[in-house]
Amino acid sequence: MIVLGSNSDISLAFIEKVLKEGQRFPMMYLFTSNVDKTMKLANHIEAKYDQKCEIIEFDLTKKNNYQTIEHIDSDLLFCASGFLGKNTEEGLYDIENTMKIVEINYSKLIFLINFFAKKMEAKGSGTIIALSSVAGERGRQSNFIYGSAKAGFTAYLAGLRNYLFHKKVHVMTVIPGFMDTEMTADIETPKPLTAQPDQAADIIYKAYKKKRNIVYVTFVWWGIMMIIRNIPEFIFKKLKM
Amino acid sequence: MRINKSKSITNWGLYPSIKTNEYIPQSIDEYKEAISSSNKLIARGNGRCYGDASFQNDVISTKKWNKFIDFDRDRGFIEVEAGVLLSDILEASVPAGYFITVTPGTKFITVGGAIASDVHGKNHHVDGCFSEHLVYFDLMIESGEIVRCSRNDNPELFWSTIGGMGLTGVILSARFLLKKIETAYIRNEAIQAKNLDEIFKLFEESESWTYTVAWLDCLQKGDSLGKSIMLRGEHATLDEVSENIKKNPLKIKKKPKLNIPFFFPNFALNPLSIKVFNWLYFNKQLKKHVKNYVDYDQFFYPLDMVHNWNRIYGKNGFIQYQFVIPKNNGLEGMREILKTIADSGNGSFLVVLKLFGESNSKAYNSFPQPGYTLALDFKVNKGLKKLIEKLDEIVERNGGRIYRTKDAMSKPSLTNYLKNVDSTKFESIQNERINRFKKQ
Ligand SMILES: Cc1cc2nc3c(=O)[nH]c(=O)nc-3n(C[C@H](O)[C@H](O)[C@H](O)COP(=O)(O)OP(=O)(O)OC[C@H]3O[C@@H](n4cnc5c(N)ncnc54)[C@H](O)[C@@H]3O)c2cc1C
Repeated sequence: MIVLGSNSDISLAFIEKVLKEGQRFPMMYLFTSNVDKTMKLANHIEAKYDQKCEIIEFDLTKKNNYQTIEHIDSDLLFCASGFLGKNTEEGLYDIENTMKIVEINYSKLIFLINFFAKKMEAKGSGTIIALSSVAGERGRQSNFIYGSAKAGFTAYLAGLRNYLFHKKVHVMTVIPGFMDTEMTADIETPKPLTAQPDQAADIIYKAYKKKRNIVYVTFVWWGIMMIIRNIPEFIFKKLKM
Repeated sequence: MRINKSKSITNWGLYPSIKTNEYIPQSIDEYKEAISSSNKLIARGNGRCYGDASFQNDVISTKKWNKFIDFDRDRGFIEVEAGVLLSDILEASVPAGYFITVTPGTKFITVGGAIASDVHGKNHHVDGCFSEHLVYFDLMIESGEIVRCSRNDNPELFWSTIGGMGLTGVILSARFLLKKIETAYIRNEAIQAKNLDEIFKLFEESESWTYTVAWLDCLQKGDSLGKSIMLRGEHATLDEVSENIKKNPLKIKKKPKLNIPFFFPNFALNPLSIKVFNWLYFNKQLKKHVKNYVDYDQFFYPLDMVHNWNRIYGKNGFIQYQFVIPKNNGLEGMREILKTIADSGNGSFLVVLKLFGESNSKAYNSFPQPGYTLALDFKVNKGLKKLIEKLDEIVERNGGRIYRTKDAMSKPSLTNYLKNVDSTKFESIQNERINRFKKQ
């Protein structure tokens, strides 16, 4: 199993879910930009599940050396890589912030996923599970840089799913709403709309087994996004969302 | 670090309830920060103590401090962070052929909580308390320094922290030894006892069994006082289990979990419903003596199968009253206590009787002492305080004491047995309540 964005709470919850269900892998590859933090995680997985792990330092904002990951191959890729950055109000005209958001959520990330997609295509098997965001469903004034990167990413996944379907590789897009994770630790999120990482992992796991295409982590979000997507633009632009 | 400001919390008994600032550290630095930024705080695990032992205006939660550090699958040593639940350990250890040597009646407690209460199980007379199998733990003290404690390193802090109710610092991680098992099943015997004399005799006769415990019907009077069922068990060996189990001896079937989704209304629990419950419980077993094989969940954690069962007591909550009285006073003291309860009509769903073996004199803060221990649930209502006063008086007269991890309203003199735990920073509301009495 290959995990991109290993330090995210959802990654850990999903890894644990898969291992709890009894699946084991020749190796668990943990991609991270923070090796110290991931070390603890790798240790945990090895001690608790007797599952070997290899930590791969990979920072999407730096120059990436794909030769170092040539040996890596697996039938399951889970991607929770993401970077919220400063939202538009503070970060709209900040070049570094904008670059980082676009690289981690979209441009550099799809190179990395393509790298493994190619291997799966060659084998004619595999599953790619990737987290996008409700923010990518419609550009809103509050965080549209992040939202636009996620929109691009969602479109990429849809296209990839279509392309790889004919090569027997499955691509699943996960759209989480608010999650009770480190990323949102300082934001007050409404309780009924907020999912715990292990609830999310259960939902994602079930969807993965059923080979679903698009999964909303909390069902209410499907409804909310349905409404938000369908507000006519002349009204939408006047809203402060 | 995440801090939940003025969050309402209750422990398992849902009584009392307080508002607290909950610090949830995820790194050593955040632990230090939490400790230095508060004047007074106490560690909190999974809140499975019943009363107010893990309450303070500031609590430091170990919830997110829940990673495994090492599991030596050849020798059975395991090392985990303090917020790891016993249920997490079993998930990993049972398939590897190991069981937790000493476990309480629920698996939803943390390792930190197990050490701080030095929990006991059905095998106290054989294996002692949780601490008996501890190799070492790391403790963060007031200064933010981390101290490794074992029988050889900092033994004073080791022994005072065991059963020390979080009053010496925050346990960060621990290493302990698991017990080898061949199957995930228990050879189980259930035997009916007509009254106290019979059940005490059964305990004496069952001393060679690893696990013994009895469930009592506490509404019985007269000749039937102490009517009960003894359960005793041994880890089943591979030879003795059925062919079906042999195929997958370390795996048990997943059971559907029941849930109590809301609080029961206040009138739901009354002497009549308790009578009906006990009648069902005691009569589901028609034969006097039953022998069978059950999986470890059914044997050790029958209550865990119903999520949130504490809600059946309603919003006002309940307390658990657990005491021990020395063996020589056992029979008479117990008779008096049961009689007092039966007369009060204030029945209890859950009445568990157990015979403690020798206790470890080095673990001076542990609750168990040789003798009989009884644990009962009582719904909180107007008459309860009076009943507890009466029971406390009998326990005291018989030279007994109350289990602090379950205490919420007992006489302080029965709960003030902890030594060498004075810290200016680590202080629970429970301890303040008890200390106020000491100073008087
Ligand atoms: C259904 C049920 C059955 C039970 N059966 C038994 C039984 O058979 N035998 C038995 O002995 N107990 C039993 N208990 C009680 C339970 O085992 C103890 O109360 C245990 O300590 C709870 O652990 P916790 O993680 O929930 O800790 P909490 O309830 O949160 O805290 C309990 C105490 O431990 C301290 N503490 C917690 N974590 C740490 C830490 N990291 N460092 C320092 N101090 C800490 C707290 O300050 C507090 O004093 C039972 C409880 C329930 C709900």
